Order: sequence, then C-alpha cells, then structure tokens
Amino acid sequence: MSAHRDSLSAGLLWTAPWWIGFLLFLALPLGMSLYISFCDYPILQPPVWIGAENYAALARDPVFYQVLWNTALFAIVSIPICTAVAVGLAMLLNQQVRGQAFFRACIFVPNIVPLVATGIVWLWMLNPQHGLINQTIAAFGARGPNWLDTPLGVLASLVMISVWSVGSGVVVYLAGLQEIPEELYEAARLDGASRPRQFYHVTLPGISPIILFNVIVAIIGTWQIFALPFVLLKMTAGPERSAYFYTSYLYDNAFRYLKMGYASAMAWVQLLIILALTALVFWSGRRAVHYRAG
Amino acid sequence: MMIRSSTILLAATLVLPAIGLLTFGPRGRATVPTDRVIVRYWEKWAGIEAVPVRRIVDDFNDTVGARHGIWVEYNSISDVDKRTLLATAGGDPPDIAGLFDHIVAQLADQNALLPLDSLAAEFDIRSDAFKPVWWQTGVFNDRLYALPSSPFTIALYYNRRLFREAGLDPDSPPRTIAELTDAIRRLTRYDEHGAITQAGFTVSPSMLGWWPWAWPFFFDARPWDGRRFLVESPQIIDALNWVRDWRSTVGLNPMLAFEGSFQTIEGAQNPFLGERLAMVFQGPWMTNWIQTYAPHLDYGVAPFPSSDAARHHTFASADVFVIPRGARRPREAMRFLQYMMQQDVLESLCKAHCKVSPFRRPQDDFFRDHPNPHIRTFDALAESPDAFSVPKSACWAQAKDITQVMLESVNRGIATPQQAAAIAQRKLDAAVDDYRVARARREGGR
Repeated sequence: MSAHRDSLSAGLLWTAPWWIGFLLFLALPLGMSLYISFCDYPILQPPVWIGAENYAALARDPVFYQVLWNTALFAIVSIPICTAVAVGLAMLLNQQVRGQAFFRACIFVPNIVPLVATGIVWLWMLNPQHGLINQTIAAFGARGPNWLDTPLGVLASLVMISVWSVGSGVVVYLAGLQEIPEELYEAARLDGASRPRQFYHVTLPGISPIILFNVIVAIIGTWQIFALPFVLLKMTAGPERSAYFYTSYLYDNAFRYLKMGYASAMAWVQLLIILALTALVFWSGRRAVHYRAG
Repeated sequence: MMIRSSTILLAATLVLPAIGLLTFGPRGRATVPTDRVIVRYWEKWAGIEAVPVRRIVDDFNDTVGARHGIWVEYNSISDVDKRTLLATAGGDPPDIAGLFDHIVAQLADQNALLPLDSLAAEFDIRSDAFKPVWWQTGVFNDRLYALPSSPFTIALYYNRRLFREAGLDPDSPPRTIAELTDAIRRLTRYDEHGAITQAGFTVSPSMLGWWPWAWPFFFDARPWDGRRFLVESPQIIDALNWVRDWRSTVGLNPMLAFEGSFQTIEGAQNPFLGERLAMVFQGPWMTNWIQTYAPHLDYGVAPFPSSDAARHHTFASADVFVIPRGARRPREAMRFLQYMMQQDVLESLCKAHCKVSPFRRPQDDFFRDHPNPHIRTFDALAESPDAFSVPKSACWAQAKDITQVMLESVNRGIATPQQAAAIAQRKLDAAVDDYRVARARREGGR
C-alpha cells in the first residue's frame, strides 16, 4: 500500500508541470469562458450574469448563420477533396520510383511555409490579370475568373490552397500504406482482384483508421479557419461576406465589438459543433473503419 | 512518504538550472537612472516611423524628464489597441498609449480611459492652440479623453498627364461629384476584349484606403446624430445610387477584374502609382509612396469633389495619445504629453510622418520643410466646416462593418440602394439598441 502511494505521489509530482499547466491554462480558461458565455462582458467592466441571453441572441443573429454556413460549406467541400488528394498522393509516393525522397519533400514543403507567406504567394497566383493561374488559363485561349471577387471564386481559392498544403496528411497516409501487409495484396491478386478492387478491399480498409484520424483533424482545422482568409482577403469579409468564417466573427465580437460574452457563447457552440461532428464521424465510421487485431 | 534518492537527484537536475537561470540569467538593459520614475509608453509605430518619436522620447528623458525624475520607456507594440484594451482590463495598462481616434469613443464609454480635462488644464495644454477638428478627435460626451498626435485629412490625388491625354484641364480638377463622374468617364480606357486598362476612379474597398465607409459623407451624409445611425437618408441613397449608376456605366465584371489586380495600396502595386488609375483619395503620406515608387509621376492635389463646388468635404482623423484608466503614473505621463504638445516638438513628429499639424497656426518652417509640397491643401481642409471625423459612437466598430456591407452589396449589384440601406438600417438600429440595453443593465447592476 505504501509502495503504491509512493509511486502515485512520484507520478503526480513528475506530471505536476502538466497538471498545473492544464489547470491554469486550459481548465480554468475553459470554465471561465463557459461562465462568461452566460454574461454580458465587455472586457473592460466586470461580467454581468444574463443567463442564456447570448445563446438566444445567437439564434436570432443572421450573421451567425452566414458564418456557420460559410464554414460548413468550406468544410464540406475541402475535407473530401483534400482527403482524396492526400490518399492519391500517398499512393503515388508509395511507389518505388527514382527520386522518391525528392517528390515526398516537394509535397511536404508547403506545410512548412508560414501561413501569412502562403496567403501572400497565393494572392499573387490568383491575381486576375497578372496571376500565374489566369495566365496559364489564358495560354489555352480562355479567360480566368476573378478568383477573389465572387463567393464561388473565394471558396475555390481556399480549397485550392488547402489542397496545396495536404503534405502532412500525405505523410501520415504514407506511413499507413506502408503498414499494410504485402500478403493481403498477394492474397487479393491470387483471388483475381484487379487494381481498383485491391484498392477498395485492401488499401482503403487498411488505412481507414488513418482516414478517420485525418478527417477528425481536418474537421477541427476547417472549423477554426481564420488566418488564411484574413490575409487573402486583406482583412475584409470578402465578396458578399463569403470569406467571413466562424472564428473571424468570433474574433470580431470579442476584440472589436467588445462582446466577450457573446464571443464565448460562440466558442462553446463551436466546441459543441466540433464534438458533434467528431461523434458523427466516429459513429458513421464504426463499420467502415477496420482495426487490425493484435 | 519515502522519496527515493534518484527522484531527488533528478528533481535537482531540473530545478537547480531553473533557479540558476532566474537568479543569474539575462536581464533587460539597465539603462534607466535609478532616481527616475518609469512611464510606460506603448505606441503603434515601429521601424522608420518610430525613429522620430524615439528621438522625442530621448530628448525628453535628457531634459524635462531629468529635471522631474521621469523616464519614458518607449515600446513599439503591434495591434496596440487590442493590447492596451487587454492590459487595461487586466489592471496593468501602460501609462500612455498611442491609439487611433476611432477607438476613443468605444474605450471612453467603457470607462477605460482617464478623462484629461483637469490634467490638461493643470499642465496648460489648451484647446485654443489646436484646430477645433483635431482637438475634437479626443472629445467624447463633452469630456477630453485623448490628445492629437499626428493628424491627417484626405484629398484628391490626380494624374495630370492622364488628365491632359483625356482632354481635361490638369489645373482644374473636378470640384463636384458631377464633374468627377464626367472625368471618370473620360479617363476610363478598355482594351479590345473589354478589359479596363485604365480607370478614372474606383470606390472599391481597397482603393478607398482604410475608409471605404466614408463615401456617402462626400454627398453630405452625416449618418450618426448622437443617438442613431440613419442610413436611409436621401444623401446616402444618392451616394449609393451613384455607385450603382457608375458600376453599370463602367461594367461590373471589367471593374471587378481591374480592382482584383491590385495587391496593396501602400506599395508599388498601387495602380495610381503605376498610372493605371487616374484619381484616388488619400492622405498626405501618399507623397512618400510617390517619391519612393514613382518619382516622376506628374500629379496634383485638390480637395475631393463634394456635392457642391462651394463645399469641401474631407475625412479628418488623427492618431491620439491616451492615458488608460488604472495607469500608475498619470501625472508623470501628462508631463511627457505636455512636452509632446509643444508646437515644435509635435510638428517635428507630424512632418516626419508626412501628416498635417494639429495646431491652429502651424509654424512657417512646418510648411517650408514638409515632405509633401501640397501640405497646405491638406491643412486648409482641416478648417473646412464640412470636415468630418469618425462617428463618435461606442458601436462604431460594428456600425462600420454594417455600412461597408451596405456599400459592397450595391457595388456588386446584389441589392438596390433602397434595399441595401433598409437592411443596414435594421442592423444598425439593432446594434445600437443592444448596446444601449447592455449598458443600462450594467449601470443598473452597479
């Protein structure tokens, strides 16, 4: 009993920095923000309890629905495309070809470019008159769109940039692909399975836990998108407010309109949405995700 | 409880270096004389913009500061308004903060700024030394909360060469909106595919500088009456109708493509500097950009066209100094501001920032040595009775966003001027009402 208590004490002692950090910098702010979400709190004056009024106001706020829709649309479009592209690239990189390391590096490099630099580079690429993309389109005799001047163009641009930076997902998928036992492919080939069938019956089930993980990470990331549209649209909400996302509106409420209570309520709704979507992904994937025994 | 010696050894290995670092580690530069009281000054300016203000701070520390035992510590702070806000909320604000005038009403209404009326009187900082428009930038609800640092007005910059080519008289720039409209029509050029190669003017948010909301003000609109934003007024509808008509004349898509090709207005990509845009409204610092990126540009400066030739509407705005509530050294801070408010000192800063002087009668050398040869035009505009500033509403941040959406929706043909104004009016009324209710609730709770 004494030895058990000793090891518990030592364990607590050694994990104390994390516990203290967790309590001070995560649990306490979380609790505070939950409390503040039920308050009128303009930051510069003490919070005043107003019950669920912030949540009721959210339900009446048309801008809230717009940012919700913008963010959901971006997630709905970008996550499947990015997942498909990342899996495809990982499969290509999994081939034994010359210069494999070079290609892997090329695909990963965009992930180490700072977000602001990414935004600036793409701002130039998307320039309707002088940008590389429209110049390329013009070389084929067509006229490129005003990428950042229409809601559809903004969405397409943001998805393109997301696809450009799928490198980290590719690395994880690649690791997953290399974990799939070769015997499974051999067995499939002996049974006469074609390449597409091998992909569908061996590869996809083999990397399904990784797809699940990456999709959950992507859901969290897309629901928190902030910096990229901020840089790309030069701190504006974009055409018809199409680049005004959930976190941008949350930030505006907190630090520009000084409605910290309202912003906290938005943050909790955001957390609940992400939790619900994560649970939905887990639930819907319970049959599709295969974990190898042992 | 027994703690094993290996545990103690490991703990010591981690803790001792930390203690050593805290005790003997690097320290900030100890250049402050020990007999001085430190005044913390947070300012937005960094790099080349910070040089003149640092020089003023150094001069103060060497002279007045030395006599009064004060040491001003200058800190360039990015996002200074947000950081000052959070530091004030946290109870540890700087003693002086260099903010923007548009945030004064919001902070003052939240009781976050120290009223300066009595301190200004005590330190002999007098309103009659300044042009009224600049003194008023710091006044909210009849109390003084801020002092002007470097102010500016907005005027029309126009390309004289393009004017000549279009058959316009470069010595007679447009004075009214009607003349502006005609000049735009004559200055706009297309290529064989219908793309705009040269535009007369644009009301795109990026080319209206940092003030796209200000467009209706040139049509006599003054939407904030102290209690309500009124955007369904005939003047605002006129301004929106102008935007709609102009878009349909020039063509929405060619104009969007043209505007989309701009990157930043502060650099060489500014289409006015590249002579692709004939007219633009900007502040006096535009001359710095011209000298840097287009030194041979043949340009002129004039008051921006207004609803009628006798009127001179201009946006008048200023960077300001405030003392946040809770500042530890307000009197010492005021001593520094007193030094700063000396005409030669403040004008040296304004000159270095290529802005106008806030003083009623600028010194002769201010005009003589100013980097902008048209500075008298900007200075005269500050005396115009039609000069307008940011509406003094605590809800301005939100109101500005709503107003911009209104302009944008007309600009893009999404809504008619009447529809856009009606939607904006509802949102503005709701925003102001919500704010008022929350304020009353807080006051009731005290």
